[in-house]
Amino acid sequence: MCARCLEISRRSLLVGGGAAAAALHTGVASARVRPQDMVPLVGPGYRPTERDEIGLWQLMERAEEEIAGSNLLIQDPKLTGYLRDLIGTVGGPAAKDFRIYLARIPEFNAMMFPSGFAVVFSGLLLRMRNEAQLAGVIAHESGHFLRRHMIRSWRDQKRKSDLFSIGAMLAGIGGAGAGVYLGDYVQLAQLGTILSLFQYSRAMEAEADAMGAKLIAETGYPPIEMANIWEQLIGEENASARYRGKHRHKGGLFDTHPSEGSRMVDLRADAAEITVPGKPYDNKRGHYLDMINSIRPTLLDDQVKLNDPGASEYLIQTLAQDGWDGLLRFYEGEVWRLRNRPGDEPRAAQSYAAAVAYPDAPADAWRWHGIALMKQGRATEAKAAFARYLTMKPDAPDAAWVRQMAG
Amino acid sequence: MRKRGLAAALAACAALSACVQTRQYADVQFTPPSGDYKLLVLRPDVTVGSIATGGMVQPRADWTEQARASIVQALRAQQASRGGNVTVIEHRNQLSGVSEQELADVERLNFAVDQSIVLHKYLGDGLPTKRGRGLDWTLGADAVRLGQKTGYDYALFLHAEDQVASGGRIALGILGLAGCFIGFCAPNVGGQQQLDYASLVDLKTGEVVWFNVVAAGSQVPGIKFGDLRTPAGAAQMVDRLLGRMKPGRAVQQASKER
Repeated sequence: MCARCLEISRRSLLVGGGAAAAALHTGVASARVRPQDMVPLVGPGYRPTERDEIGLWQLMERAEEEIAGSNLLIQDPKLTGYLRDLIGTVGGPAAKDFRIYLARIPEFNAMMFPSGFAVVFSGLLLRMRNEAQLAGVIAHESGHFLRRHMIRSWRDQKRKSDLFSIGAMLAGIGGAGAGVYLGDYVQLAQLGTILSLFQYSRAMEAEADAMGAKLIAETGYPPIEMANIWEQLIGEENASARYRGKHRHKGGLFDTHPSEGSRMVDLRADAAEITVPGKPYDNKRGHYLDMINSIRPTLLDDQVKLNDPGASEYLIQTLAQDGWDGLLRFYEGEVWRLRNRPGDEPRAAQSYAAAVAYPDAPADAWRWHGIALMKQGRATEAKAAFARYLTMKPDAPDAAWVRQMAG
Repeated sequence: MRKRGLAAALAACAALSACVQTRQYADVQFTPPSGDYKLLVLRPDVTVGSIATGGMVQPRADWTEQARASIVQALRAQQASRGGNVTVIEHRNQLSGVSEQELADVERLNFAVDQSIVLHKYLGDGLPTKRGRGLDWTLGADAVRLGQKTGYDYALFLHAEDQVASGGRIALGILGLAGCFIGFCAPNVGGQQQLDYASLVDLKTGEVVWFNVVAAGSQVPGIKFGDLRTPAGAAQMVDRLLGRMKPGRAVQQASKER
């Protein structure tokens, strides 16, 4: 009995050590998943038939009821309809089955739940520079559903934790019988099991990236935009970390997602592979801006109030690569004003002055422009700015105060 | 001699590692509802899963459905015996006169209040301001409005989750038990876990008047204590959770003095 147990524990050692060694050897990068290999595993109107997946879907029913009734959701029918149309276009075979919810959370994120409903954070709409980028993220999330990632990773975890428990128990009993302590090997096997779970999770993300790139390319969006998203995110995180005197996290063995850098590189290769020369691709930037126009001030406002000036400034600069406007200039000023370091006040004043030169400057730009002028002792100009503010926003909560300032 | 010692140790181990705990709190002025009262049960939250060999919990749709039906049936029978008139709603759109959003707000508020009760009453983080004051929490005007609009006297929030050890988990426990004979004793890998709680809200005042938690767990897989899937197990749980409602302290003292 003991000889056999030792054999098994040796195997668990090999498995654990092997996984650890493999992970160390290759770092966290795994081979790129090719878009053409990504075939959807579910068809239209998919319903689970196996017991574990049925259980998972039932659990999700209540989760969806909770999310659908959440007071964090943005209910604007134009926006929600837009997102529904978008997932209906790039969602592959399950396009018509998906539900999509927009939550007012100023972070870069989107997620797909096992039963086919997705949640998009408002911070994503702020960061995407065109429809192709938003479609890329939505297609990535659709990819998780189309490739059945949730149930596959659940089964992977179940299988590995089952095997590990049996192995650990046998090693304990075998070790006790033989009078050897095998705890160190069991720990190594545990590390191996855990590492392999994270690796599996990263492999799924790589699949979803490849699937997403394929889906948007088929719909006529330039697939390179998916790589650009990561370039932007890396830039933003670097800027945010630099401001706080920290370093950006660059990926490790315990990450559930591949590093942003490797995703960007892989997606560039994907894009080169699937872009058909001569085929017209359109990133639909104009349409995108039309659609999100009504909440863009809210998106910028939420971001600026996160007190992360490094990221906010980077974001505004990135969005401005497609052209400055009054809104972006105003929020550039807000970043400086709220940061309030030496020299920030004149910087903010300059931004407000630049903002009001655009026809789309928000009312608040005139208000802050007026205050900046007042501080500089330019009372006449300030009064004109306040007057403009009051015409644009006669019911402003601070109207009485501004009227008094304007004299 | 040695064998008997081992058996005694095992028995003690099993006794220590499987237990059912229940602890209720009530508003000092609370009197358990009786007579002709109308009780609204809002979306009972029931989940039953199976613990896999390695400890992961697999949700089971069929068991959950069975348990939910059994619990609702047991609850109706129990409340009817006290004179209560029970309505159970499963979805937020089933309550006439109240919008889904309003109901969602009350549910979310109740969830936050329940979490606070659990933190300050059960997890040992007692609040000096609430010492000796029984259960002193309220859902406020929202709950009163719900009562006015619907005509119910009380709202009951019920949560029940049960995790049943699978065959593989039990086998792992038996393997651990077998190891006891050669010096590696590990039968306590973790077995059935059940957690149920309920809060009763008086819809006339908005106050949470009564709260109870039943926690049952066994470290040794294979030991059972009321299986929610069966009508008998569900009735046992409903009895443990709601069957022994005690009046609040002020009410108890008043009845003693009388």
